Amino acid sequence: MRKLSVLIAGALALLVLQPEPGQAIPAFARKYGFNCQMCHTSFTKLNDYGQRFRDNGYQQPGQEGLEKNVFQTFPPISLRTSTGLIVAHDPARKNTTSGFHLNGLDLLAAGVMHKNISFLLIYTPRIDEPAASFAGVGSMDPSQPGALESANLVFSNLIQDALSLRVGRFEPAYHPISSKRSYYLLQPYEVYGFSTPGNSFVFDDNQIGIEATGHFKQGFKYGVGIVNGTGANPDNNNAKDFYVNLSKIIGRGDGQSSGQRLGAFAYYGWVPTSIMVDFSGAAGDADGKMNEPFYRVGGHASLNWTTFNLQALVMYGEDDEQINNLRYGDKYHFTGGFGRLDWSGLANNRLLASALFNWVTPPNYDDARRVQVFSALVRYYLGDWTAVNIALHGEYTYQKVGKTNPARQHQFAALLDFDF
Amino acid sequence: MHRSVPLWLIVAVIVLAPLALGQTEQVPITASGVVVHGPERIGTLPPVLIPPDNPQTSAKILLGKKVYFDTRLSKDNTVSCATCHDPARGWSDAGPTSKGINSQMGGRRSPPVSNSAHNPLQFWDGRAPSLEEQAKGPIQNPIEMGNTHDVMLRTLNDVPGYVEEFKDAFGTTPITIDQVAQAIAAFERTVVTTDSPFDRYVQGAGTALTCQERKGLEIFNGKGHCSACHWGGNLSDGRFHNLGAEPIEPGKPDEGRMAVTKNSRDLGAFKTPTIRDVALRAPYLHTGKEKTLEDVVRFYNRGGGTEDSNLDPMMVPLGLSEEEIQALVAFMTRAMTSTNPEVAGVKPIPQTELPK
Repeated sequence: MRKLSVLIAGALALLVLQPEPGQAIPAFARKYGFNCQMCHTSFTKLNDYGQRFRDNGYQQPGQEGLEKNVFQTFPPISLRTSTGLIVAHDPARKNTTSGFHLNGLDLLAAGVMHKNISFLLIYTPRIDEPAASFAGVGSMDPSQPGALESANLVFSNLIQDALSLRVGRFEPAYHPISSKRSYYLLQPYEVYGFSTPGNSFVFDDNQIGIEATGHFKQGFKYGVGIVNGTGANPDNNNAKDFYVNLSKIIGRGDGQSSGQRLGAFAYYGWVPTSIMVDFSGAAGDADGKMNEPFYRVGGHASLNWTTFNLQALVMYGEDDEQINNLRYGDKYHFTGGFGRLDWSGLANNRLLASALFNWVTPPNYDDARRVQVFSALVRYYLGDWTAVNIALHGEYTYQKVGKTNPARQHQFAALLDFDF
Repeated sequence: MHRSVPLWLIVAVIVLAPLALGQTEQVPITASGVVVHGPERIGTLPPVLIPPDNPQTSAKILLGKKVYFDTRLSKDNTVSCATCHDPARGWSDAGPTSKGINSQMGGRRSPPVSNSAHNPLQFWDGRAPSLEEQAKGPIQNPIEMGNTHDVMLRTLNDVPGYVEEFKDAFGTTPITIDQVAQAIAAFERTVVTTDSPFDRYVQGAGTALTCQERKGLEIFNGKGHCSACHWGGNLSDGRFHNLGAEPIEPGKPDEGRMAVTKNSRDLGAFKTPTIRDVALRAPYLHTGKEKTLEDVVRFYNRGGGTEDSNLDPMMVPLGLSEEEIQALVAFMTRAMTSTNPEVAGVKPIPQTELPK
């Protein structure tokens, strides 16, 4: 019974943790008159130029103060969604489901407010889709919860190239390989979404806090931050979480589409183990009690050869024994990671093919949540020289969850992914 | 009611904003101090802006054309403006760098005169704020025309035909250096190329570009990153970038823009040239070391030239395939070449037909 409930919980978690649409921001393309491949290898993944543009606070690298601000351009608003057919097949039960879907909506706004001051807002509106049952319209649970996924200000080049600050809710620098800009619409990075027993921390969440980043001519990049750790607003304890990500780029480029990037990250956080709250602050923060530590460490690489890009990440996580409510007294350890190989072809990278392998290995007593997933996709981009922002997207995933009697599932999607 | 943003974040923003706002402004990229904000979408050229103190007149333009082709501006009567800015070579020369009097070789390639009216600053390093100021420079450059303004003016004032034509154009005598510069600049402001297949395509003629050229345009504006600097109607940002180009003389780097601004961020940076008619003026870069357009594209595809501590941060390897390189070259070769009769048809005025 317990195994079944864990399986169901795992399946629900997979549904909930479906990756949100990524962050391609056509408002920038409109502002400059560029097409998407200026900043994206193919949208949504940033190329070297796009990575430097993002790192520089959405300003052309080296051109700070020389471009139009948000008050001088089109309204800097973009939308993104995807629609199409999703088919799932369970070989053990010989069950197949299929349906046409709209996969949420992102509203994005970003731009430069003043030289070296910029902003990013991503709002996902609540969408109430009546879930169908055999009897017709069923519950009104939202198919997408309303959320302010990102809302941050960037103060760039406080020290030229070496120090920028991002304040608010943001995608933290300890996500060395962005899940927000993943090509995969069905398959998330499993280790990013892996939640440990008793711990509210999810690696994939955007965080609220302040982050310092910088880069140096020798190819070193850093990102350090202090955040709530819950990804939530308000916080549930007074202990703040810390992280650092260090990378070194070998060769010319930024490691996204050229050059070779190697790096390591560490996250150290605290989670309250008591919900007893003596005091709630004016901003709603709780002073959660008995904070216990946890950490995540890992390494990452992005290797480029001609039009191939291999990105890989390995993570080790440990939660204090006081957090582990699955087996009190034992620290909870897990490892996981993913490797993704992308290939771009045709003129202006109109064709994209990718293969992805995900795994998470929890401790033996939690092996029902062991995950191994193989995915592959092909995308073809429509459009013309001003905007290549419609992708025909075909994605396949084979998923194996659990160690003994694992649940297996094949999933296929044919979608149109577009933003404008 | 709870506030939705933690107080400490608000405090952080308040504290940090002045830090960023208080940064030193970048040196304006035009002499007037007016920054041309961009990038702008690539497209057709806007009308040339005419300075109020040098209005265009047909007499002045024709006079300027004559002066432009006149070798008597130089010390030994061998070099005219057109020697290095030859209409038949895309208003540049055969290179790799320019040849002045006594066959002396200049330190940089000759930048094109065509569409230079749209440059916010003149010369590779932007040391001249206007075409008028630019026109004065080469006359007294010892490697180019090797003359002095005084000697050159004595020469022109000894030519009755010029004295008469300058009087017609400006209403005064004797001829001054400012009048010479204004006449040349007035002529140069007519050397504007606005009728290329690209111009017709962006104005709606879908068949003006071949399939390969359209691919090239898409790459130009995307994966090739070309329009990051080659933007707007003139396909140039008029700004200065360090591409890591090898110096002409090994071990003797050219300071470029830094010689003007004294700002170390401008070390080795040179002005972005227009892409219009680019196929007519090989070789390329300020050094003239890249012999063909294909060589230039491959240069950029490698992420620029040598490792340079001041390499422009926009320079990254592009990952262009052979097909993409050829498409980009095709776009820049035919699609960007003007067919303006009034410009393409400019022929050198024979010395025998110049004022006497």
